[in-house]
Parts: sequence; C-alpha cells; structure tokens
Amino acid sequence: MRRLQGLPALDEIVSLAVRIITSRTFLEILVFPGFLNITLSAAFLTWLERKVIARVQLRIGPLYAGMWGILQPIADGVKLMFKEMIFPELADARLLMLCALSLMLIAAAPVVAIPFGDGLVIANMEIGLIYVFAAVSLFPTVILLIGWGSNSKYPFIGGLRSLFQQVSYEIPMWFSALGIVMLTGSLNLTEIVKAQQNIWFLVPQVLGFAVFFTTVLAELERIPFDLPEAETELVMGWMTELSGVAFMIGFLAMYIKLYLMSALITVLFLGGWLGPPLLPDPVWFLVKTFLVSSVIVIIRGSFPRVRIDLLLKAGWTRLLLLALANIFVTVILIVLGLDWMWRV
Amino acid sequence: MPDLAFLALSGLVIISAIFALEAKELIYGAVGLAFSLIGVAGVFVLLGAEYLAMFQVSVYVGAVVVLILFTIMLVRRESGRIVEEEEPCRLGRAGMLIAGLVAVAVAEAMLILAPLSPETPEFYQAPLRELGRSLATSYSVALVILGLLIGATVVGGLTLAKIDREEKADGTAQ
Repeated sequence: MRRLQGLPALDEIVSLAVRIITSRTFLEILVFPGFLNITLSAAFLTWLERKVIARVQLRIGPLYAGMWGILQPIADGVKLMFKEMIFPELADARLLMLCALSLMLIAAAPVVAIPFGDGLVIANMEIGLIYVFAAVSLFPTVILLIGWGSNSKYPFIGGLRSLFQQVSYEIPMWFSALGIVMLTGSLNLTEIVKAQQNIWFLVPQVLGFAVFFTTVLAELERIPFDLPEAETELVMGWMTELSGVAFMIGFLAMYIKLYLMSALITVLFLGGWLGPPLLPDPVWFLVKTFLVSSVIVIIRGSFPRVRIDLLLKAGWTRLLLLALANIFVTVILIVLGLDWMWRV
Repeated sequence: MPDLAFLALSGLVIISAIFALEAKELIYGAVGLAFSLIGVAGVFVLLGAEYLAMFQVSVYVGAVVVLILFTIMLVRRESGRIVEEEEPCRLGRAGMLIAGLVAVAVAEAMLILAPLSPETPEFYQAPLRELGRSLATSYSVALVILGLLIGATVVGGLTLAKIDREEKADGTAQ
C-alpha cells in the first residue's frame, strides 16, 4: 500500500487529461490546422475531384453515398481498410509499408508551418517557407524507394520519372518564391501573409506565380505532368503494387500534398486568410485553398500529358529562366523604391 | 526535456549509422543513412540552428541520399542479392585498434578544449537577415568563389557527359 500512496488519484489524472485535451496546442495539432483538418480536407478533395472531372466529361460522378455522394470518400476508405494487402512475392513488403507511412508523414509535415488564420498556426517558424520546401524535397527519396521495393517494372519506371521530375522542378520552385522573400524580407509565412494587406503578391509577382503554379503541378504529379502515374502506360505508376491500407495511405498522402500545396499558393500569392470581414479568417483561407485545388483539378480535365524530355527541357531552360527573370523584376521594383507597400 | 530529446536524437543518429554500415543490402544502408542525417538535422534544431537543419534535410536527405539510391539502382540490377561476406582481413584488427586510439585521442582533445559541464552553453543565434547581410557584404568574396567552384563542377559534369556521348557516336560510326 505504501507504494500506491505516491500515485496521483484517478480524478487528478482525469482532470489532467482533460486539461491536455482541451489545451490550445493539442487542439491545434489534432483538430483544426492539424490532423483532422488535413485528412478530412484530403478526403473531401477526392470527392471534389471526381465530381468536377465528371462535370467536365458530362457525367454525374459519385451519387449514392450521402447527399451528392459526399460520403463516397468514407465508403472508399472503409472498403480499402478491409481489403487484403497483397504484395508481389519478391517485393519488399516491410520497406513498402515503411515508405507508405513516411509518405503520409512527409505530406502532412508542412501543415505545421502554414498559417490558417491570424495566429492560427501550430508553430510560427521564422523559416517556415524553407521548412515547407525541405519537407517537399523528401518526396523523391521515398517514392524512389517505393518504386524499387515493389520489384516490378511499372512502379520502378514511375519512381524514376517521379525522381527526375520532382528533383528538377524543385529548383525553379525555390527560385520563383524568392521574389516574395525579397519583397517582404522574411521567410515567416505569417509575416508574408500580413505583408499582403494592401495588394496580394499575385500582382507584383505574376511571373513568379506562373512559374510556382507550374512547378507545383509538376511536384504534385498532376496532369499535364502526371508522367510518374501515367495510367495508359504505367498502370498506376509507383503506386501500382501498393494495395489495401498501404494504397489508402499513399493515395491520401498525395491528396494531403495537393491540399497543402494549394494552401501554400494561397499563403504566398493570394493573401492567405486576408479578405473582406464578411467571413471569419480561416473560412476565407479554406475558400481560397479549395478554389486553387479546383483549378488544379479542372486542369486535369482539360489538358493532355507532356512527354518526359519536353518536361525536363521546359523545367531546366524555360521555367528556371522565367524564375530568374522574376527575380530581376523584383530587384527593379526594389531599386525603384516600390517595395514599401509589402515591407513588414 | 531538451536532454531527453538530445538522447533520443543521438540514439537515432548512432543506431541508424550503425545500421547504414552493417546492412546487408545496400538500399537499406541508404535508408539508414537518411534516418541518420535526419537525426543530425534534429540535433541542429536543438542547437538553435534551424536554418542549417532545414538545408541539411533538403540537401542531404533530399538530394545526396537520392543520388546514392539512384547509383545503387543503376549498378545493381537484381534485387534481393546479398553482399557476400568477405574474409576478415588480418590487418583488420590493427586497423580497428588504430581507429579506436584515434577516437580516444579526439575525445580527450575535445574534453581538454571544452570540459563537460551540466549547463547548456549559450549560443549566439544570428538572425537570418544578419546572416544574409554578412554573406553579401563581408563574406562576398568567399561566396563568389564558392559559386564559381559549383559552376565549374557543373561545367565539368556536363563535359564528362558530353565526352561519353561523343565516344558512343564514334563507336556506332565505326
């Protein structure tokens, strides 16, 4: 009995647990900008994509599960969760599971730095932009490992294509965001949003926006840059041999990436949570983010796929040059003294 | 708390480094290296050098490990083959002894230079803006030389690739 005296009483533990669960940080990590938000939004994006693509192709899309088929993602999730995981005999199942899990982690990592409202950010980092880019730059490693671990032709070719594409498009992506950093003098995403109080960065950084949007399409492996997943050539690209829960995790990770990259475009170029005070800040942010996602989805419905050599040539010659031109335009703006509008 | 984080990160770095060296399959070695480098980035964060940590992640894990993986995949076609154990070299023990002595000597030197103390030393954290300014002003010459060096490396790599292709073209012509 003496040993038990040192233990706290049950109600103390319960009250402590309640205090932890209702604390702001915990809720931020688990509910709003954090876990629940990104998974639900990614699930919603799968539904949105199917619905929008269906409209583009004069179909109806998901219809039966819930109103307008809005519960379809949940039905799909349940189905995938109860499916058997089948890996090829010589595939490295452990490596594949590890990679699928790390894909999810890496996809969800940027949410820590992205401000969904004034002060509504999990960690207000001084180097938030570089943090997001560093997280994004981990994707090719994991995707290449998935391609190799599947021990099958199509995933391997898909993984290699993904590697070429993502590594070579990272450089124009970093450079095209540099103009904004030069104008604000900060890498903090909250400060970048606050700097856009007068004019969004879309206006002075049109060139940067064009390059950034294109590179984001390539990083997301969306049409017209969906070579790693070209379903007419490579079945499902590097995801071919993932099945069951592993497939669900990998698929959801790509939609989380779509959501967070749209959020990053919103933060950098579309004024983040800023808007007329008709709606609360986070609602403005979500509206803009889903608009950007819808544009990315509509592009999928309307463009053909490019060839890999054209893609690489465009990345290294055109996009990089345009990003450098954007930096020069920004330098001219700063030299002319027009940058006072965006200084923090 | 920082001590706990430090211990966990050091454990991650050391264990994954050992795994990287000892893994039978080269791919697993590369994965171990990636985890080890991420752990080093975590140590940088603990020391207050977030900027360095981010570049550690994006350059080392995002580029160098990819390069290693790519090389392994190009060289080794068949997967699942296990590296054969080489016969232990007779000089191996002497090498280990020398390596151990060097490690002890380095540790001694570090202890003499910076004695162990329970307090975490205060680090001067340069703001990013100051870092950029000093790079562009007082260290501008070094920066330009580094840029030239990297440019020369890129030109060298391109030249090597081009020579290779020209030789191949000659081969087909003959």
